[in-house]
Amino acid sequence: MTEVRTAALTGLFACILLMPAQVNAERPYINDKKAPDSRHDLDVIQKHLTETLPANRRATVCIDLGEGSGSGVVVTADGLILTAAHVTGGVGKEFTVIFEDGRKAKAESLGLISTSDCAMAKIIEPGTWPHVEMDRDDTTQLGDWVYSLGHSGGFDKERGVVVRLGRIVQVKDSTFQSDCSLIGGDSGGPLFDLNGKLVGIHSRVGMRVPENMHVPLREFVKNWDALSRSEFVGDGPFAKRPEKGKGFLGLGTKSRSEGGLSVDKVGRESPAEKAGMKAGDILLKMDGVELKTKEQFQDMLKEKAPDDRVALELLREGKLETLTLRLGER
Amino acid sequence: MVSRAQTLETTYRTNGATVQAAFESVRMALQTSSAVIKRGPKEISYGTVVSEDGYILTKASEIGDGTGLTVIVDEKTFKDAALLSVDSSWDVALLKVQATGLVPVKLALDSPDAERGTWVVANGATSRTKRRPQVGIIAATPREILPAGGAVLGVSLEEKSKKLVVTEVHEKSGAEKAGMKKDDVIAAVSGQKISNRKELAEAMEKHRVGDDLELTVERDGAKIDLKVRLAGRVDLFGEEKSRNDVMSGNFSVRRSGFPRIIQHDIVANSAGMGGPLLDLDGRCLGMNIARANRCETFAIPAGDLRSLADRLITQATAK
Repeated sequence: MTEVRTAALTGLFACILLMPAQVNAERPYINDKKAPDSRHDLDVIQKHLTETLPANRRATVCIDLGEGSGSGVVVTADGLILTAAHVTGGVGKEFTVIFEDGRKAKAESLGLISTSDCAMAKIIEPGTWPHVEMDRDDTTQLGDWVYSLGHSGGFDKERGVVVRLGRIVQVKDSTFQSDCSLIGGDSGGPLFDLNGKLVGIHSRVGMRVPENMHVPLREFVKNWDALSRSEFVGDGPFAKRPEKGKGFLGLGTKSRSEGGLSVDKVGRESPAEKAGMKAGDILLKMDGVELKTKEQFQDMLKEKAPDDRVALELLREGKLETLTLRLGER
Repeated sequence: MVSRAQTLETTYRTNGATVQAAFESVRMALQTSSAVIKRGPKEISYGTVVSEDGYILTKASEIGDGTGLTVIVDEKTFKDAALLSVDSSWDVALLKVQATGLVPVKLALDSPDAERGTWVVANGATSRTKRRPQVGIIAATPREILPAGGAVLGVSLEEKSKKLVVTEVHEKSGAEKAGMKKDDVIAAVSGQKISNRKELAEAMEKHRVGDDLELTVERDGAKIDLKVRLAGRVDLFGEEKSRNDVMSGNFSVRRSGFPRIIQHDIVANSAGMGGPLLDLDGRCLGMNIARANRCETFAIPAGDLRSLADRLITQATAK
């Protein structure tokens, strides 16, 4: 896991600019007016909303974390999701996403930027998924009309995705502030412009209702490679880097004179038990390395962090088996 | 990389004065067809004018016993407001002021539910002579809001030798009002025999807050039929604040258990309910009935409001 250096960033940015440009919808004139001042102006805002909402609702998912939930938005047909780092909380975590119509899919978190609250995830089931268009050209300006979508307070099929209208009321380097009010469960959900293009991801709220913070899409765009390579970037407030040595397997073993380790205890509810390990199994290899002593095995595990994957090769009733599991947290 | 923050002036924000000014024609409907309800100098609720001769609907749980109310419509002040009747399932009260020539709201009865993204306007801050608008949009799909914690009789129960015995009748509950007593044995609901908690729960499942449950109890060997009005568990016993509540400020105490609501994103406080919810044509889509949390407000849909108003007025005039 390495920090993304500025030099690399610049290179990546250039490369994104070379991508074929999408046909751009015209910037709605209403964004360049200080305020709407006629029935026509108000109708224009309403029309943009009602025309772009249905497709964007279909691509806005509830991220069900078991304990609590957040939101996210699908941005590619094969199921790439943008959300907030404080929602996924780490790299390689598995969770369920729920679409507005109730359809569920398994997903896994990819990279995150812990300093700005960006995170990426991917649906790991095959399929073609409803997705939104992104404003990759970063056209949003102060005062633009925007709307937020989210599964506020968790998934509710009868209610559906909740929409709120607002304007961009403050722009700072890595934050848009809007007056689209947000609440728990909206985190990680999408912010759209009037053309229905994704411009940001909900991050956090202030104590006052008008303080609603979003990560601008450009923060995702400039970190796209690191995010898709499942990197944990930065040491910011939005996610805690997994600590080596805190990985938890839940096995009690004994060294064997004839090689390998015999399993004498499997912790209840432990990752080892969930993966199907049983007392009496003989552990032969971890991540392809032959296991000779209990101490060697423990040293190898100390190099692992929660959520790291471990491949184990074992002998059960004379038969060779392999299984891959994900470590828990000690 | 570091640049100064750019900030939009308050007046141009979604509910800034300049933006609100674009809704002047809708504000006129608020001016004539919404009511400000005060007790002493304090605004406690808004109201929705439903007849020329002074019938006004408001949120029942915000006006207490309904005494000492002053009602302002447009620039006229009415000091003689009478509370005529209450519908507890919708939490709506019918008030009457001595007036003629009021302008009732134009209920949007002939159109389907307004879709997400439709502009809505409701009462914002008010002065003695002027109503001000607050604006937002329809935010979600219309639906029933089940009572938080379910509908309850308001008693504590114990199973004793295959009988369901009342051990306590809670104050202000429907059970108390219906005359239930400690040691009553619950025998039947709507004629169907009940002998344990599970059967009672099943019999109550279909019922909503505000429903009258037909209950048969045994007391001193006699069978007594009672009608017990069901209350929301949370309304009767209070609730613990969730994390979302903590960040939501002043929400309505009664905010669940409505047969059907439309949801919008206008931020109001608990005293800001009871007024009409208007569209850009000034038509009334509903009446605000609960600030659910930081950013969600519920309104009773126009169609339901019409039949509710008719029912309450009929009840009041039949008395």
